[in-house]
Amino acid sequence: MTEQLIQVDDLTIAYPMADGEVFRAIDKFSMRVNRGQIVGVVGESGAGKSTIGKATLGLLDENAVIDTGGVSLDNVMVTKLEEHAFANIRGNRVGYIYQNPMTALNPVLTIGEQIIEAIEANTDKRGSAARAYAIELLRQAEVPQPEDRLSKYPHQLSGGLCQRIVFAIAISAKPDLIIADEPTTALDVTVQKAVLDTLVKLTRQENIAIILITHDMGVVAEMCDYVYVLRHGKLVEEGPTAQVLKEPTQPYSRELMAAIPRIDHKVDRFAVPGGLGKAEDRKRAIDYLMSRRADAGKEGEPLLSVRNLSKTFSSKATALKASSDFKAVSDVSFDVFPGETMGIVGESGSGKSTVGRMILGLHTPDPGYEITYRGRNIIDLKSKAEKLAHRQSLQCIFQDPYSSLNPRMTAGDNITYALRAHGTLGREEARKLSGDLMELVGLPRASARKMPHAFSGGERQRIGIARALSFRPDFIFCDEPTSALDVTVQAELLNLMKDLQDQLGLTLLFVSHDLAVVRQMCDRVMVMKAGEVVEAGACDKVLVDPDHPYTQGLLAAMPRFRPEVGHLAMNLRQIPSVHKETQCRNPTASDVLSISRRSRQ
Amino acid sequence: MLNFITRRLGQSAVLVLVMSALVFVGMYVISDPVAVLAGEDFTEADRQALAAELGVDRPLIVQYFNFLGNVIRGDFGSSFVYNRPVMDLILEKLPATLEVAFLAMFIGLVVGIPLGVYSGLNQKKPATKTISFATTVGYSIPNFWQGVLLIMLFAVWLQILPASGRGDTVEVFGVGWSMFSLNGLSHMILPALNLAIYTICLQARLARSGTQEVMYQDFMTFARAKGISRERIVRRHLVRNILIPIVTITGLQLGGLIAFATVTETVFSWPGIGKLLLDSIHNSDRPVVVAYLILITLMFVTINFIVDVTYALLDPRIRYT
Repeated sequence: MTEQLIQVDDLTIAYPMADGEVFRAIDKFSMRVNRGQIVGVVGESGAGKSTIGKATLGLLDENAVIDTGGVSLDNVMVTKLEEHAFANIRGNRVGYIYQNPMTALNPVLTIGEQIIEAIEANTDKRGSAARAYAIELLRQAEVPQPEDRLSKYPHQLSGGLCQRIVFAIAISAKPDLIIADEPTTALDVTVQKAVLDTLVKLTRQENIAIILITHDMGVVAEMCDYVYVLRHGKLVEEGPTAQVLKEPTQPYSRELMAAIPRIDHKVDRFAVPGGLGKAEDRKRAIDYLMSRRADAGKEGEPLLSVRNLSKTFSSKATALKASSDFKAVSDVSFDVFPGETMGIVGESGSGKSTVGRMILGLHTPDPGYEITYRGRNIIDLKSKAEKLAHRQSLQCIFQDPYSSLNPRMTAGDNITYALRAHGTLGREEARKLSGDLMELVGLPRASARKMPHAFSGGERQRIGIARALSFRPDFIFCDEPTSALDVTVQAELLNLMKDLQDQLGLTLLFVSHDLAVVRQMCDRVMVMKAGEVVEAGACDKVLVDPDHPYTQGLLAAMPRFRPEVGHLAMNLRQIPSVHKETQCRNPTASDVLSISRRSRQ
Repeated sequence: MLNFITRRLGQSAVLVLVMSALVFVGMYVISDPVAVLAGEDFTEADRQALAAELGVDRPLIVQYFNFLGNVIRGDFGSSFVYNRPVMDLILEKLPATLEVAFLAMFIGLVVGIPLGVYSGLNQKKPATKTISFATTVGYSIPNFWQGVLLIMLFAVWLQILPASGRGDTVEVFGVGWSMFSLNGLSHMILPALNLAIYTICLQARLARSGTQEVMYQDFMTFARAKGISRERIVRRHLVRNILIPIVTITGLQLGGLIAFATVTETVFSWPGIGKLLLDSIHNSDRPVVVAYLILITLMFVTINFIVDVTYALLDPRIRYT
């Protein structure tokens, strides 16, 4: 029963770097996986989690060097094998599931070809037998209408369906082990639930072991028997899941657990270390930021009031196709009061970001709406100065910290260039201000001279916050500000945002797909589905005891991190999937861009 | 798709019209056919008679619309110099150019793409360095000089290939082709090689950069993890994905090879269309130049259209509306 399958001993994988140093992606790491066991490997980005999976399959980058130790599969040292010897392992004895199903599948080949080639490479089935088996596998992976899917291309299917297809490929040769590298990170929570459910079912049937590589403690809590915690390539802690999550013994594990936003109770601050800048600089920055906020609005009146907001995206009519309308947002109304945080939650495509973008004026809403800000209908703003003041008063923090800063400008210039462009700030003042703001968001003022690429994702997001603050706004629209960040970085950033809000009395509109983050950040919340608000109210009510079945479904689908309950794994299957996967994904803006770019070449 | 085709056709018509006007005005500005054609003993009256005969005595705008009217009836006019219908002249010379251009393109693709894919996949091998050096050299040496070197090497020293002319031609569809006779083929090799060297280098570099980009994509790693053979990964997963830029450049290049092979045709005394163009510009033979350039414009438009349709076949994410 507890027959050992994988043994990693004292594994060190190093990458030589340009300056002659070596970077150890994995440092003296050991682990065991038994047949049929689900083992979690958790850690934040850069912890070296994926390297373990790649080493097992011989997929390391060419310049990687295995310094010590190795990975054994059934007592065969696979890390010593030549490339051709992996033919019997890859796909055959070890299946691999990639983080992003949309990029794991080749965009220009049909689903059928991609499944059948794996079947033909790893089993003795050929031709029509392979095709029949492919359909059978898709059925097992719970892909609806499997026959029709074979002739489809990946972009015609949703992310959840693509991941099921990747599952079908991974189990095609009935392997002993599946390495699942962040299998659900790219998916919506309800889809994640259904997809993980399928994965567990498939592997239980065949007694396949899983190494689950993830950063998501909720997923680990629900799926894994045993867990290894990694940091910077080193093992921090290992043990049965319940024990590690409930009573972590190492400081880093404790910090990691404390950083996880909880859906079940709200904390004032996350218990993670996170320094603030120099007191005098911060004071100056706060004085600056407070200097324009005398008229923050009357007590009890909403700062922002939105009525009947709708947005329809239309595609033009063509010779073969009538014009089609996609209603992204329909008839949304709400108020936001000064100093509060209003949350919008929903899955991708629910229209939550579009609401925020319309308030900022980045999209024009359909006629018939009314947006009142500080008691004035924004349509009444006529003069240039009024419009500018209005725009500066509403700011935005973007989702992707990598693309939202100008890479050719220093951090400091990124913070102040808009103000300088408006001529409201001289060069010397701008330099001072950007330094003060850097300190305010917890970065040393000297680093204002560095370029964006020199900062980590979390630091960039801090720069993004400083940029939004430079306009002395009253209202900030936060569009998934932490979804690209590691959990401890997220906790530090959420702490920072809470502190700034307390000190500056900012009003936030906080959009996120993560219910737990919203629970921690927001006073009130709206739940959106397919462009409509299905439920709204105080966070403590909506996210604890929801009325609407959709909200109930979202909450149920969320992998729970509840170490004190000490329950494990098997609750995954008890709750039915609430989310019907659609056949076709709506193309995102980036898809459209990349395609039109290609067609113009 | 239908919409795309109609729009394309409309754009092409405008393009051809603009092109014809430009060439018409351009030729009018730079040269005077009467001055070129008139003998030394021509009197002023003779000159006027000649101008009237060629139709160049009328205002330019009238000439242009007359020309357009004739074109709509399928008549591109007659050469000032040869006094023969322009289309006959062009069609007589076109096959020679087409067969060499297509042979060159074929060599370029068949040699260039595998070289590029190989060097993209094996970045550290010595052969890659050699390929990279050779393509840079081939890319930089002027075309005419390459031609002369080829003649020196194969025709003068080794004496295995003829240096000039078309050799024996075989009549097919009423025009002569060199490629259907062994002797003709041997005459084609050097000019085709001369044109192909640049194409090989360009295609190799394109294929290499495409390979380097695609080989680090997730789906390539996933394909390896699936356990399929390396040969299949390269043939199906990689090559399909690098073909889009290659098809683009191939289209442009093919047009260029047909339209502007003048240097090569001169070096190898290849009686193709490039030489006809040069002579006609020289002689102010406006009908030939205008008809030739309209033909070339149409050819580019057609090639680009085929390229765009090929995109959609290669990448299912591309759909024209």
